[in-house]
Amino acid sequence: MNSEYGVLTLFLFSIVVYNIPLLYGTVGEIITEKAGSLNLGVEGTMAVGAMFGYIAGVSTDNIFVGLLVSFLTAGACGLLFAVLTVTLQANQNVTGLTITTFGLGLYFFVGKGFGAEWPSLQGAEHVVSAYSARPIPVLSSIPIVGKAFFSHSMLVYLGVIIAVVAWWYLTYTKMGLRLRAVGENPAAADSVGVNIILYKYIHIIVGSGIMGLGGFYMSMSMGGSFEGSNCWINGYGWISIALVIFANWNPLYAIFGSLVFGFFNTLYVYSGSLSNAFPDTLGWLSAIPDQLYQALPFIITAMLLVASSIRQKNGGGAPNALGQNYFREDR
Amino acid sequence: MSKNGKPLFRVVKREGVRWPLVGAAYLIAIVVAIAFGGVLLAGQQVNPFEYYKDMFTLGMIDNRFAYKQVEGFIKLFVPLLITSVALSLAFRMRFWNIGGEGQFIMGAIGASAVALLFGDSLPAPVLIFFMSLAGMATGGACGASVAILKVRYGTNETLLTLMMNYIALYFLKFLGETMGDWNIFLSSESTRPLFQNFEEAAVMPSIPTGIGHFSLNISLIIAIGICIGVFLYLRYSKQGYEISVVGDSPNTARYAGMKVSRITVRTIFLSAALIGLAGAFYVSTAGALSISITNDVGWTGIIVAWLAKLNTVAIVVTSLLITVLQHGCRVASSSYATVDANFANLLQGMILFGILTADFFTRFKLVGRGKQEVIK
Repeated sequence: MNSEYGVLTLFLFSIVVYNIPLLYGTVGEIITEKAGSLNLGVEGTMAVGAMFGYIAGVSTDNIFVGLLVSFLTAGACGLLFAVLTVTLQANQNVTGLTITTFGLGLYFFVGKGFGAEWPSLQGAEHVVSAYSARPIPVLSSIPIVGKAFFSHSMLVYLGVIIAVVAWWYLTYTKMGLRLRAVGENPAAADSVGVNIILYKYIHIIVGSGIMGLGGFYMSMSMGGSFEGSNCWINGYGWISIALVIFANWNPLYAIFGSLVFGFFNTLYVYSGSLSNAFPDTLGWLSAIPDQLYQALPFIITAMLLVASSIRQKNGGGAPNALGQNYFREDR
Repeated sequence: MSKNGKPLFRVVKREGVRWPLVGAAYLIAIVVAIAFGGVLLAGQQVNPFEYYKDMFTLGMIDNRFAYKQVEGFIKLFVPLLITSVALSLAFRMRFWNIGGEGQFIMGAIGASAVALLFGDSLPAPVLIFFMSLAGMATGGACGASVAILKVRYGTNETLLTLMMNYIALYFLKFLGETMGDWNIFLSSESTRPLFQNFEEAAVMPSIPTGIGHFSLNISLIIAIGICIGVFLYLRYSKQGYEISVVGDSPNTARYAGMKVSRITVRTIFLSAALIGLAGAFYVSTAGALSISITNDVGWTGIIVAWLAKLNTVAIVVTSLLITVLQHGCRVASSSYATVDANFANLLQGMILFGILTADFFTRFKLVGRGKQEVIK
C-alpha cells in the first residue's frame, strides 16, 4: 500500500479510535434525556468514571474491574443527580453544572493526590493486552476500510453494541415505550400507572454509568498518563450534549453522528498531512484554520437547533418535558 | 380512601422565600461541606486547619505582599459579581442563559478591538468608555440574537447558548493562534502568535488608597454601582416590574397588555450586555487578551445567581464567598504539592450539593398524613 493511502487509512482509523467515547457519552445522555432529565454533568460524570475506573483497573490489572468501577462510580454521580432533581426537586441545569464542577474537582484531587506514585498503564500488562486491537476476521482484511473500521479494541465494539441495544430498547420494548412517555408527558404516564420516580432513577443512573464507560475508554486512549492541567475528558462531555441534538435523540444516529463529529475533530489534527498526501484534491484542507474544524460540531448543532425550531418540528426526537421536574401536586 | 392507604407524609410547596430559614440551611450545608473537605485533606496527609487558615485568610497573615492577594481577589471578584447579577436578570424571566462564557469572551474581544485600534489616539477615560460600550454591544448581540430566536420560533435557549460558548471560545483561539497582517489582536513584534498588550490608556486605572501599596481597581467601584443600579431597576422601575410579571406568568403579562417578546429580548440584551461589560473590564484590568480569559465565570455565575435565589444583595454575598473559595484555594495550594487548586471546585461542588439538598426543605414542607392542609 502506498503512503498516501496509509495517511488516509490512519485518518479514518483515528476518527473511530478517538471519538467512540463521544458515542458512550451521547448514548448515556440520550437515555437520561428520554426520561425528561437534562443532565449537564456529562463532563464531570465521565471524569469521575475515568479516574476511578482507571485506578481500579490498573491496580488490579483487570480491565473488567476497571469497566465495572467506572460504571458504578459514574452511576453514583447519576444517583446524586437523581436524588437532587427527582426527589428533592432541585433545578436540573444547576445540578448538572454542579456535577461537572464537582466531578472535575474530584478528578484532579484524586489524581494529584497520587503524586509520584501514579499507577502507569505500562505496569498493567493484562489491561494493555485486553485493550489492544482485535481485528474482526474477514472484514478487517478489506483494504483501507478494514483497518479503519474493523480492527479495533473491544471497547470500540462495546460502544457500538451499547448504542444498538439502547436503540432497540427505546424503540421496541415496553419499558422503552414507557420511558419515552415519562419524558414526553410525565403526568399522563403517571395517570396510567407508570412509576415515574423509579423510571427516572433507573435511567439516569444507567445513563450516567454508560458515560463513565466512555470516561474509562478515554483514560485508555490517553495512555493513562495523568497531567495536572488537562483532564482526559477534554470537553468530550460537552460535545456529547451537542451530539444528542445532532443525533435527534436516536442512539443509532448517534453512531453516525460521532463519526461526523469525529471527522471534524480529527481533521484538525490531520489536515496538514492529508493535504500533503493529496495536494491536488485535498490541498485546500490546510488553508482552513484548525479552530474552524474544532468549532464545526458546535456550529452545525446550533444551526440544527435553529432550523428545527423554525420548521416547528419541536426538535423531532426531543422529549417534550425535557428539563422540567415532575411534581405530582402541580398536575 | 382509608387512612392506611395514604403515604406517611406528603410534600407540599411553601409560599415565598423565608430568608432566616434559607440562611440557616445554607450555613449548615457550608459547614458540612468544609468539614468533609477537611477529612479529604487529612487523607492526603495535609493538615486541614493549616490549609483552611491559608485559604480563608487568602494567605495574607505575615505576608509583606498581602496587598497583591487583595488585588488578585478583586480581579476574580469583579467579573464574577457582574456576571452573576447579569445572569439573574435573565433567570428572572426563566430564560436559561448558560451562554455567559461566550458573551464574556465576545465582550472581551469587542473591547480589545477598540483598545488596539484607538489605543494611541484617544485619552484614557474616553477610550475605556468606548471599550466598555463595544464590550456591551458584542456581548449583548450574542444574547439578543438567541432571545429573538426564542421568542419567534421557540428555539431551546439552554442548548443554543451552550453551543455559542464553544463557538466563541474557538473564535478567540482562532484570533490568538493565527498570524496575519489582518490580525490586529496579535503582537506584530513576536514571531510566535502572542496577544498584543494594550497601550497604557486602555488599562483600567487604580486609585492608590494610602494603605500600604494597595491600590483600588476602579472596576470594583463600577461593579458595585451596577449592583445597586440593578437592584433599583428591578425594584422600582416599570421595566423591572414587567420582568417579574413575565417571569411569574407570561400569560398574565399578556392579558395585562405587556409585549412579552419585546420585554424578553430587551432583558436578555441587558443581561448579555452586562456580561460583555464584565469581559471588557477584565481585559482592561489584565491589559491583554488571553485564551483562558473567562476563569469559568460564565458557569460559576449561574451557580452564584441560583444560590442567591436571584436576589441582588444575596448575589454580592455569595460571589464574595465563592471568590474566597477559589482564590483562597489557589493561594493555599501553592504551598502543598499534593493538593490542586481544583480543590476549590471539589469544595464548591460539595457545598452546592448540600445547599441543593437544604433548599428542598426551604421550598417544600412535609405534611404528616394526620394533618389536613388548609386551602387558602
